Order: sequence, then structure tokens, then C-alpha cells
Amino acid sequence: MLGIYIHIPFCEKKCNYCAFSSFVNLKEEKDRYIEHLLKEIDNFDYNQLDFNENLILLGKEKDTSYKVDTIYIGGGTPSLLNLDDLTKILKKIKEKFEVCDNCEITIECNPNSMNIEKAKGYINLGINRISIGIQSLDDSQLNFIGRLHNSNQALNAIEIAKESGFSNISVDMIIGLKNQSSDTFIKELKKLIEKGVNHISTYLLQIEDNTPLKDFVKNNPHFLPDEDECMEIFNEATKFLKKELFLQYEVSNFAKSGYESRHNFKYWTGENYKGFGLSAHSYINGIRYANSSTFKSYYAKEQSLKEKLTIKELIEEHVMLGFRCRNGIDIKYLEKLGYNIEENKDIDKYNKKNILIRKSDKIYLNSDYYGINNYIIIKFLPN
Amino acid sequence: MNRLDKIRNFCIIAHIDHGKSTLADRLIEYTGTLAKRDMQEQLLDSMELEREKGITIKLTPTRMIYNFEGEDYELNLIDTPGHVDFTYEVSRSLAACEGAILIVDASQGVEAQTLANAYLAVDNNLDILPVINKIDLPSARPEEVKKEIEDVVGIPAMHAPCISAKEGINIDKVLEMIIKEFPSPKGDEEGKLKCLIFDSYYDNFKGAICLIRVFDGCVKIGDKIKMMNTGKVFDVTEVGIFVPFPKPIESLKAGDVGYLAGSIKNLSDVEVGDTITKANDPIDKPLPGYKKVQPVVFCGIFPVDGAKYNELKEGLEKLKLNDASLEFQPEVSQALGYGFRCGFLGLLHLEIITQRIEREFNLDIITTSPSVYYRVHKTNGEVEELSNPSSLPSPTEIDYIEEPVVKASIFTPPEYVGAIMELCQEKRGVYKDLTYLDTNRVKVNYILPLGEIIFDFFDSLKSRTKGYASLDYEMAGYERSDLVRVDVLLNGEKCDALSIIVHKDKAYARGRALTEKLKKIIPRQLFEVPIQAAIGAKVIARETVSAMRKDVLAKCYGGDITRKRKLLEKQKEGKKRMRKIGSVEIPSEAFMSILKLDEEDK
Repeated sequence: MLGIYIHIPFCEKKCNYCAFSSFVNLKEEKDRYIEHLLKEIDNFDYNQLDFNENLILLGKEKDTSYKVDTIYIGGGTPSLLNLDDLTKILKKIKEKFEVCDNCEITIECNPNSMNIEKAKGYINLGINRISIGIQSLDDSQLNFIGRLHNSNQALNAIEIAKESGFSNISVDMIIGLKNQSSDTFIKELKKLIEKGVNHISTYLLQIEDNTPLKDFVKNNPHFLPDEDECMEIFNEATKFLKKELFLQYEVSNFAKSGYESRHNFKYWTGENYKGFGLSAHSYINGIRYANSSTFKSYYAKEQSLKEKLTIKELIEEHVMLGFRCRNGIDIKYLEKLGYNIEENKDIDKYNKKNILIRKSDKIYLNSDYYGINNYIIIKFLPN
Repeated sequence: MNRLDKIRNFCIIAHIDHGKSTLADRLIEYTGTLAKRDMQEQLLDSMELEREKGITIKLTPTRMIYNFEGEDYELNLIDTPGHVDFTYEVSRSLAACEGAILIVDASQGVEAQTLANAYLAVDNNLDILPVINKIDLPSARPEEVKKEIEDVVGIPAMHAPCISAKEGINIDKVLEMIIKEFPSPKGDEEGKLKCLIFDSYYDNFKGAICLIRVFDGCVKIGDKIKMMNTGKVFDVTEVGIFVPFPKPIESLKAGDVGYLAGSIKNLSDVEVGDTITKANDPIDKPLPGYKKVQPVVFCGIFPVDGAKYNELKEGLEKLKLNDASLEFQPEVSQALGYGFRCGFLGLLHLEIITQRIEREFNLDIITTSPSVYYRVHKTNGEVEELSNPSSLPSPTEIDYIEEPVVKASIFTPPEYVGAIMELCQEKRGVYKDLTYLDTNRVKVNYILPLGEIIFDFFDSLKSRTKGYASLDYEMAGYERSDLVRVDVLLNGEKCDALSIIVHKDKAYARGRALTEKLKKIIPRQLFEVPIQAAIGAKVIARETVSAMRKDVLAKCYGGDITRKRKLLEKQKEGKKRMRKIGSVEIPSEAFMSILKLDEEDK
């Protein structure tokens, strides 16, 4: 089964903290972009892709399935697209691939570019999951990070989604904004849950290079909560969500039972996914690819990455991703790759301290320690 | 003219950075010894590290032929190290010459080592000829500097050539001066063999090589020679000169400077300052001035990866082949495992050696805080000498401790005298005297504990005098002092490698600075880590590293798995430089960084 990612690299305005591939030249570029995007989907062909022989160790062979069970339209701001464009894209995917009946189809939306007509249109197109970039319910915080919506619009967006028929609603929230405390943050989470969202992503604000936020923070070093304060909010929020029966199935992702993002899970479990569009990443049969991140080179079909994972890298990714999510790491899987993780004495040590949880052939990181999982991961990477 | 009349043996002496190596390069170039295209920048400073630090450690003598007024002269340039760590080596090089060119920077004027080196030259009965360098700089004040040389050093300087070694200005004047003013060597080539070893190095094929000055007699292949102080006897397998690369010749005669090889397996058999004579026809008395070089600064060196102990050992052995002054013996630390206690001529020497181990042998090492040699007088009457704080006997067994002191001369413009005296006072200095050398230069003499000098004296001196003051010092024996050991406990466990010996009055301040510094260096761990400084059982300072809260990469989507994996790989690499003390992980830099307490924490 394949997952498909579609990248829509346009925004009305770039947020202050954003270092992703997105541009504000929707009008001039959009039609040409969609044209190339459709072409790229059309040209997809397993025969042009290699196989990483290292997967043979895992008993795998080249997977050339055109069956698709997740589609994720992300960005950028996909909700900027009109329904015609979206229709074309999804139609093309259905032409090329065999989209399963129960396929999870997600679209990312910004509250300010959403309306009831569009939302109903999404439903008609078969889109069944909506991820809304709410980020905060505090207007001054929203203004500070350069979002175009306010808290009323944010809550309204959830209403629109529900009204138009979405039952699988996710929201993105940011931890680490000014004047934020665990109390204020939890209050916001409460409101969102009352509104009926069943999936919440809480991201720790990362100060990326070459963003306006980075410059601001450099000049105002104590403006934002520090690392400890952020983790306090993160940990309290985690506790609260647990109580509300939101399961932390990945470091930053919480879902009511049955509402985990199946698409995102593919990223963390080493399943195949194909990304179409500018700077879109793919992982197919043990090889990571990335498209170029400028329009010009993307149109010229240039790739910025093709990485056949070595055995060591396969091991590293399994450990890294496994300790970041509910899936855990699989001792047998690592053994097949020649890595006997049980030789590492820290396993027992951390097991005793209840930092790691051992269940038959699996080792899981106690989710209380997700906040320091790099520290743990590093201990278990092969030398 | 006879043979000796056409030989000049000379050296160049200077304060650091006054342009010694540059002038040497120019002379070699100007005499055509090497074509310009073959010149590497600062040829004589052959080691990569030397060139990087802009200092000369190893001496390379060079023979140049210069035609002056129709006669070919043989000019032997013996380069000297310019740093206070290597004073003895300088003095032996001087003993191989008849003349010394004293370079003085036209802007900086006379500095501490200008004077110290000039005195060394006077002690060795050399003719000293001053040269004013860097006259191309806008700030040059050659006439004033000449007067300074006359007033401060006390030698005539009015006719000193004003040159720019960098720009090649007036190099011919220097050569003319060498030939006209320096005496030619005296000696009897028919007499009994008498040579001075002024340096040595190790050649992988030929064994230890002696750099020698022949005073009397003649030495050639097949001669049986004897080192007079060590008593060792060898057969000469090669003699030669440097042009500036080694070139075998038939023999070296009285007045000559060159090298000698004799299948000598150990560099330690070739002691700088020793006298070579013929085994079967020896002279009665060796040349004066021989002494065994003693290391004065010590530290522990440990491999970051404990499994690399043997590689470290091999590395040190190889370095010792080329540097007889390096001493080391095995040491075991509870915190750091197996390693070596090493002795050096000074802090710079220490730094050079540790960097060479890391570069030339590609080894990651941990160096512990440098210390000096203490004399511990025990209550049972025994005297124990030790440099390792962790081997200090318990206080009840100690009657008293003596520490090495130095006689330090500091040169400074008068406006910094106050700051310098304050610094010396802080460093437990005992004031000796103060002399106005002229209106804008003062010489201050102090007796200072060596342990304070190696701590951060140079840096403090520089920063408090905006770099204007210069320092020279010589060992001046041992003095009784009230010293205690300060231990560091991490999570309750003593870390022997962090122990230091300090004066009682400074123990609290140092303990506090130490714990504060370690708090900054030790990364947060899964649990809280108390850091304590203690004298015996008494805790004098405490800090706490709070438990780690955040070590996570927030988002991890399809797009950046590769990037995240690489970040983690890098983080893992960083971890490898960590040491475990009990259950606490500390970065290997911690052990050395406690040396730099004062600068930042003041």
C-alpha cells in the first residue's frame, strides 16, 4: 500500500516562524504549477525507481503496488486552491492509482481561507479528514507569529468543518508563544475539544534559521518562554490530553481512539509513500527522494535528494522513529539488519527505571520521556 | 685569508613576533641558498604547528654562501626558539655562535624577551648587533627605538640597520654587518675533537641526529665519538650541513656548524648541551653550561576512548623521539582510566604536544589541569615530590609543602605598573624591585609561585595591560607555602581528575569558580547533578545542574527524516567525547577548561 503526499507551496503570507517551502506568488505561478504537478503524477513509474537490496535482509522485495490507502494534501496552504484545481489533482491520482474505498484523504486548511462551500466541496471530492492550522486561540499570539486569522475565525473554521460533514478533524497548535503558560494552553485545548476536534498536534516552536522570528529572538532573547517553560507546558498539556482520552501516538501527536493519522504513521514506520510537488519527499523501497525546492528546477524535474539507505541508516531510522512513536522498536527487525540491540546494557537499566518498556520483541519509550527522546535514541544508535 | 676567516656563526634573537623568522627567510633567499620559488613561507619554522602559532620551537641551522667584496663567505645561521619555555635551548644555540643579531620591532621597541635574550647572549660572550625591523609600518619609530636599545639593553645601536624583513628592505646591510662586525670562529682543526650539541632530532632512517658546532678538531664518517656527560659512545655514520636541507659532506672541522649521525637509537642519548669528543682521544673537560632539562609543568593525558591507551602510548613515544624534554609515565585515574602523567618545559610546550597528539596521531585526548612539582615534607621526615593533586598525602601526614617559584621580570609602560602590581599581588607575588629603564618603560621584578604563572597569568597580564606588558621568568627554587587540595564531587562521587592544589586563602574562591564553571560545562542529565567543591570532608562550594527537560526534535514528517537522522548522528558523535564519572556524563573539555576559570568568571 502506498501513501501519497501532494505539496501545495502557496500561502497568502509567510508566517514569521516558517522555514518550509512555500511562496506567496499564487496568482502568477499556480496554473503552471498544477500543470507540472499533474504531469508528475502521470509520469510516475516504478520501473524508473531502484530497489534498495538491503531490504532483502528484512525479507522484503520490490513493492510496485499502485494501491493507495492514504492521501495527504499539505503545504503551504492547500485551502487556497479552488475546487476545480483540487478536482483535477484528485482525478489524476485516481486515474493513475487504485485508491482504496477506505482511503484516508486529508487536506490542510487555514482558518481564514476556509468557507462552507469549499468545505462541502472537499467532502464531495471524497476528502474525509481536515487538519486546521489553528496554532493558538490568543489573538495577540496569532498576530505575533504573523497568522492572518484570529481566534474567532479559528473556532468558526471548526464549526464549518463539522457543518459540512467532517467527522475527522485535526488541529495544529504551537507551544512556546509569548505569555503562554500551561494554564492558558490547556484552556485553549479544552475549548477545541469541546468544539469536537478528535486529533491535536502540539508543536514546540522551533526557531529556524533565516526566519523573521529568529532575528526577533536574537534581539529580544527573553521574550518567549525558555526551554524549561516550554517543556512544562508540553508536559502538562500531555497529561491533560491523556485525561481527555487523547492518546499520544507520537511525540507531538494526540488522537482519540481511531483518529490517528494513518498517513503520518507511514512516515514513522518505514512504509512507502510518494510525494508529488515542489520539495516533496518520498520513501520507496528503501530509498529516500526529494524534489527540488525552486519552481524552475522542479519544472526541470530535478531531484535534490536520492539516498539509498545503508544498513546502518536503516537501523538508525528504525530506532529514531520507533522511539518517537507508539510503534516502538522491533528487536527482531534490528536483528535481521545485524544489530543486536539487547547487547546494550542501557536497555535493562532504563527498563528498571520504567523509562523503556519491554513487551516480547518490542521496546517502547515511556511517553513521559518523549520530551527527552533524543537523549535516549542516541544511546541506542549503533556505533 | 684562512678558512676560518671566511666563516661566521650567528643567531637571531628577538622578542616574539619581532620578525626573527622572516629575517631568516630573507637571508636564505638573498644569499641564493634557496630560490624564491622553493621558499615556503617562513622556511625555518618547519612544523605545521609552529607556522600556525607563528613561533619557532625546533631549531634548524642553515649554511649560506655569500659573496662579499669578491670573497665567498660561509654564514651559518642558527635559529633559536623565541619562547620563554625554551630558554635553555636558546642558551645552547647561542653557545654555538660568535655573534647574535638582536631584532627589535621599530614600533614595539624593547620587550621583556628582547632583554632576556640579549642578556643570554652577553652571558655567552657573543657580539650583539641590533637590527631595527618593520620600518615599513607607519607606526615605526626607529630613532627612538635605537635610543631605547642603548638605554635599556646597554649596547650601541645608532648604526643599527633599519630594515623591513617582510619587504626585503636593507637585507644587504645586514649581511654586510654580519661579515664585517661579527668575529670569525677560533679553533684548531688539528686539535682534539670538541663539539657542542645544541639541538637534536630524530630521523626514521638515520636515528638520532646531533646538531653540532665544532670548536676544535675534525669529525668524519667512521670516527668513534663519545658524549662526555652521558658517557655513551657511537660510530659516526654521516656528517653534513643544512642548506637548509641536510646534505652529507666529508667532514666537519673546527668552526663549522652541521650535523652528525651515528646509528643512535634513542634521542635521550643525545642531550642538548653535551660535548662530543673522540672516544680514543678525548679532551679533558667538557664545554661548560651543560644541564639536564627538567620539565616544570605537568598534566595528565588520557585517551577519550579508553581502548586507545596503546595508541596514545605509541604517540607519546614517537613524539619523545623528537623532543627529549617531553617526559611521561603511566598514570591511573579513577575518573579517566589509564593514561599518562606528562612533564613539559612550560604551558606552550604542553599545548604544542597535546595538539600534536591530536593531529599527528588522530587521537582524541583529555588533558587534566596543569600543575607544578610540589615538595611535600611529611611528619615522618620523608620528602615526597609530586605533581598529581590526587597523590597528595592526607593532611595529617603533611608537615608542610613547598612549591616552585620563579623570578619574573615584567616590562611595561609606566601607566600599567599599578595594574601589574595588583595582578602580582593577587597571584601571591613577592615584590622585588622596580626600575625605570627610560621614561616610558619600567621593569618590575617579582617572585611568583610557578603554579600561579601557569594558571592564567599570561592572559590576565595581557588583558590588564592591553597587551603592552611582556613577561620573562626563570626558575628560582622552592618556597614553603600553605597549600591545600580542593576536590570536586559530582553527584557525591569524587572526580580525582578535577582535583587541584591551591593556596589556602584562594581555596574558597577557586572552589566556587570551579563549581560555577562546571555547572556551565556539564550538560543536563536525566537526573539532577550536584557539583561540590571540598577540602577533605568539608564542602566549600556547591552548584546543581538541574535535570534535563528538553532534548527532542519537535516535528518529524516525511520531509525531514534524513535531516533528523543526521542531526542525531552528529549528537551521537558529540556524546563520544563524554566521560562518565559514576553516573554523570561530562564532556572531556571540562578537565582542561577549569584552567581558564579566572578570565571569564571575574
